[in-house]
Amino acid sequence: MRFLILLRLSARAVGRNLRRSALTAAAMALGLALLVFSRALSDGGHEQWIDSAVRLGTGHVAIQAPEFLETGRLEHRLDSSALRSVERALDDPRVTSAVRARTTHLAVPGLASSAAAALPARIEGVDPALEAAFSPLPEMVQGGEYLQPGDRLKAFIGAEMARRLELEVGERFVLTAQNAEGEVEGQMVRVAGIYRTGIQEMDEGVVHLPLETARTWLSAPGAATTVSLLLGESRSTDEVTETLRAILEDHPEIRVMGWRQASPDLDSAVRIDDYGDYLFHTILFAIVGLAVLNAIMMSVLGRRREFGILQALGLTPAETGWVVFGEGLFLTAVSGVAGMVLGYVVTWGFFRDGLDFSSLMDEEMSLSGGIIETVIVPVFYLKHVLVSVGYMTVIGILASIYPARRATLLDVAEAMKFEQ
Amino acid sequence: MNDTISTPPAVRTEDLWKVYPQEPEPVEAVKSLDLIVEPGDFVAMAGPSGSGKTTVLNLLGGLTRPTRGRIWIDGEEVSDMRDRDLARLRLERIGFVFQAYNLLPVLTALENAEFTLLLRGTPAEERHRRVMDLFREMGLDGLEDRRPGRLSGGQQQRVAVARAVAGDPALVLADEPTANLDTATSAALLDVMERLNRERGTTFVFSTHDPRVMERARRLIHLVDGEIESDVRRDAGAVAP
Repeated sequence: MRFLILLRLSARAVGRNLRRSALTAAAMALGLALLVFSRALSDGGHEQWIDSAVRLGTGHVAIQAPEFLETGRLEHRLDSSALRSVERALDDPRVTSAVRARTTHLAVPGLASSAAAALPARIEGVDPALEAAFSPLPEMVQGGEYLQPGDRLKAFIGAEMARRLELEVGERFVLTAQNAEGEVEGQMVRVAGIYRTGIQEMDEGVVHLPLETARTWLSAPGAATTVSLLLGESRSTDEVTETLRAILEDHPEIRVMGWRQASPDLDSAVRIDDYGDYLFHTILFAIVGLAVLNAIMMSVLGRRREFGILQALGLTPAETGWVVFGEGLFLTAVSGVAGMVLGYVVTWGFFRDGLDFSSLMDEEMSLSGGIIETVIVPVFYLKHVLVSVGYMTVIGILASIYPARRATLLDVAEAMKFEQ
Repeated sequence: MNDTISTPPAVRTEDLWKVYPQEPEPVEAVKSLDLIVEPGDFVAMAGPSGSGKTTVLNLLGGLTRPTRGRIWIDGEEVSDMRDRDLARLRLERIGFVFQAYNLLPVLTALENAEFTLLLRGTPAEERHRRVMDLFREMGLDGLEDRRPGRLSGGQQQRVAVARAVAGDPALVLADEPTANLDTATSAALLDVMERLNRERGTTFVFSTHDPRVMERARRLIHLVDGEIESDVRRDAGAVAP
């Protein structure tokens, strides 16, 4: 009963000092709105970055032979029997519902050489139809075209490789690599198309050729080095990875990895970017927290007489503190809801098609195998929005504790001397 | 053998001191005060500014702690009570009327007057009835829903008196209640307090500079430099120290 009275006093005090309360709530709400917006932008940027990196790499989920990640050697490949087990696992409804696209690679390190020069290359045998649905490479054609189903002795190379090997579309060059039997074999192919990703190491070093051509050339019929899965959302990675591991637990020749494990560089880069975001958010929270602390503190200092009266009338010092604390909670609750709605409305209303950073970046940048787009589309993760609201609640509570404590330590007789 | 139940004094103090630590030397606001106020009395404490009147009221109300000495309110010793027990004592047995009215600005006149009853957990119906009776008695009916900022000084002070007596306290401590009021309003307020004292038996202790209050008091204590200079009972002469 008395608790309800204290709550009522808190609510009335918030309403009575409407301008001050509104300013405090506005500071908190704007801080939270900025946080929601910043989080949505950051999550959207990460999602695009990860999406581009996994599509150019080994997907959200990579299925390989256990040692392939470390060695990259053909001897550590999935043979046709292992691939059949993988196919069966991928037919599980829990997996199919999460998978957007998939592709199969037979990759080896090798050499690309022309009459002009020779370059180390990562040679990847791909299924052109699957790859077109999986990778952005086919959309990055600068000349010629991407591999087509039915192509045999054709290759799709990066612009830098074409420049250094002085190759044009339609010209021939030789790929050399160690085959499955340990023999060095050469394969002449013709340039079907040239791409540019903006990622130096890809443009200079990655060659696509038809999967069946690669299997024949490398004496690895029916084999693959990686089966890559592209998921609807990167957040599903752990769940799908664990599901596949469970299904394939009796197959020690098969290793299932999420993108963080399969692409440690990308994982590190995303984590570093996350830490930057956390730092920014911490600073933002600290600023909002100090604003709230200041507002509530001023409110307490300006109302010492009022708190003195409350104690003279029979409230205990602790109850007086609860009144002040309640004010902080009311402000936090109101501004929390307002900030969340404002952040969502502004982000969704103005930036749903993306925030264009092209005036700051002349062209797309690449980092850790992913492409950072010039237009970032915000993404809302309910969990992150709720975490932001949770943090704001904690800030509101922490910022209310000190003023509430001050109110409990009031000297009533002295407080009654203060002018309102 | 006669069994008699003696009623304890409304207020009793014994060798009461209040010293404020201050540079260059401590200020002795109250010095060795021995005081007994009987239930139902109507006592005024007069004296020049700085004589210790407000400090005595604060000590009796438990708003400040004595440096030395003991205090009993309605038979209960309060000198070394814990904060929460003092809060309970103030809520249940003491009513305050302040010079500056000190109504809670966030509450209406009715809510202010009901506040102590609300804290005590008095049922809403009884609360409302008691306060409305007082409002009618004190000419405040019609002003129930006004916030303090929309009441005159006299109206605010009457609401403050209603708040002080609504819970039928053993003691009402009034610190210069008429200081901010004009003559007519002061007289009306004193009429109300005298009537409450007479009809309900509520004990009143005032601090005042106001001769009109002193005239109406049945006992007049004169304080100088924190000590009782004179203590005169109007109806029976000087009170023995």
